[in-house]
Amino acid sequence: MRSIQKSLQEYARGIAGGLLFSLPLLYTMEVWWTGFLAPPWRLLACVAGTFGLLLGYNHYVGIREDATFADVVVDSVEELGIGFLVAAGVLWLLGRVTLDMPVAEVIGKIVLEAMTVAIGVSVGTAQLGAGEEQDKGRGNGASGAGQGQDQSQDQRRAAGERPGEESVSFGGQVVIALCGAVLFAANVAPTEEIVMIAAEASPWRLIGMVLLSLVLAALILYYSDFIDARKHVRFDRRHDVLLGTVITYLIAFMASALILWFFGRFDGHMPSTCLAQTVVLGIAATLGASAGRLLLQ
Amino acid sequence: MKTEKNWLEWTMFAIGLALILGALGYLGHDALTMRDEPPHLVIELGAPAPRRHAFLVPVAVTNHGDATAEDVRIEVVLEAGGVRERGEIDMAFLPRAATRRGWVTFHRDPGAGKLVARVLGYESP
Repeated sequence: MRSIQKSLQEYARGIAGGLLFSLPLLYTMEVWWTGFLAPPWRLLACVAGTFGLLLGYNHYVGIREDATFADVVVDSVEELGIGFLVAAGVLWLLGRVTLDMPVAEVIGKIVLEAMTVAIGVSVGTAQLGAGEEQDKGRGNGASGAGQGQDQSQDQRRAAGERPGEESVSFGGQVVIALCGAVLFAANVAPTEEIVMIAAEASPWRLIGMVLLSLVLAALILYYSDFIDARKHVRFDRRHDVLLGTVITYLIAFMASALILWFFGRFDGHMPSTCLAQTVVLGIAATLGASAGRLLLQ
Repeated sequence: MKTEKNWLEWTMFAIGLALILGALGYLGHDALTMRDEPPHLVIELGAPAPRRHAFLVPVAVTNHGDATAEDVRIEVVLEAGGVRERGEIDMAFLPRAATRRGWVTFHRDPGAGKLVARVLGYESP
């Protein structure tokens, strides 16, 4: 059994992670508005989608190496619960939910904000901890921690001392890329600026944005010697690079469309504007997806 | 399960489960029972209060419809002794079941005349 102190530390890391990733959203008025503008079935879909992402992330990356499916479900429920509590607390402190508001408005705001907080909690619990034998993930926690530490980790890896660190399966990569894309893109998705850029962009600019996204994905995943890239990404052959880049962009594109739909950004717009918005947000989602594949493991 | 959970983690799990089920239950109930009525705004005027240069009249607007009204514009007209005085107030958002409050001001004493309030218009967000 884990000690109380250890679980408290995990919750503290989770809350820190949740706030780190979602504070911009807690401070964005378009998100508060979406809380009461979104129909209830869309909020339900949002909760279901987030829970699915949490299950996936906890299954492939989560803090416990030997987790069974029941463990993963229990952890995900805890993280979603922390998400609700943190979102409710911060929204109350900011004066965005009060007791004299209609129940629908209060619940809508809290549910919507709690989703990114919960993903942040999950990532924070798994990634922000110091390396302990029970913890998986990148162990040394701080990404920029001294060269010597990185080297020693590389040596251990080369010697195959940590069998738990083998690279994650394709499904796992997809889930991790999705988490990264959602965490990063959700911060700008609800803003008016995305619609504005999309409505004003010429087709050439949009093509340019697609190309920029692809180049960014390729650079981050394959050519910039990003943290742990050698470990998580295959680059034996040239077509691995091409395939990996395109798949990452596809995941980012889907995540971008989903988030925009959640925030009601497709309501009342022509399909061409929706597509343009997806491309505009796609750059942010690609950054999140490709960096996420390396950082959130 | 290899790693056994302690009481704190089980408590957190129970709280999380209760919150999730509560939110799902509420939203599910809401999704099933929600009709598709347009915004229905009802204005209530409070008692006028004299200030140094003006009279304040509290305005409370409640949305009894199912949809949110955006950019709500409300007009309050005071007719006293054959003279009309107009007051106006704008509200950014009025979600369903929500009440927003504000004030309109008049030069003349509203107690001496008749106040008529109406919603001029609003947008669908």
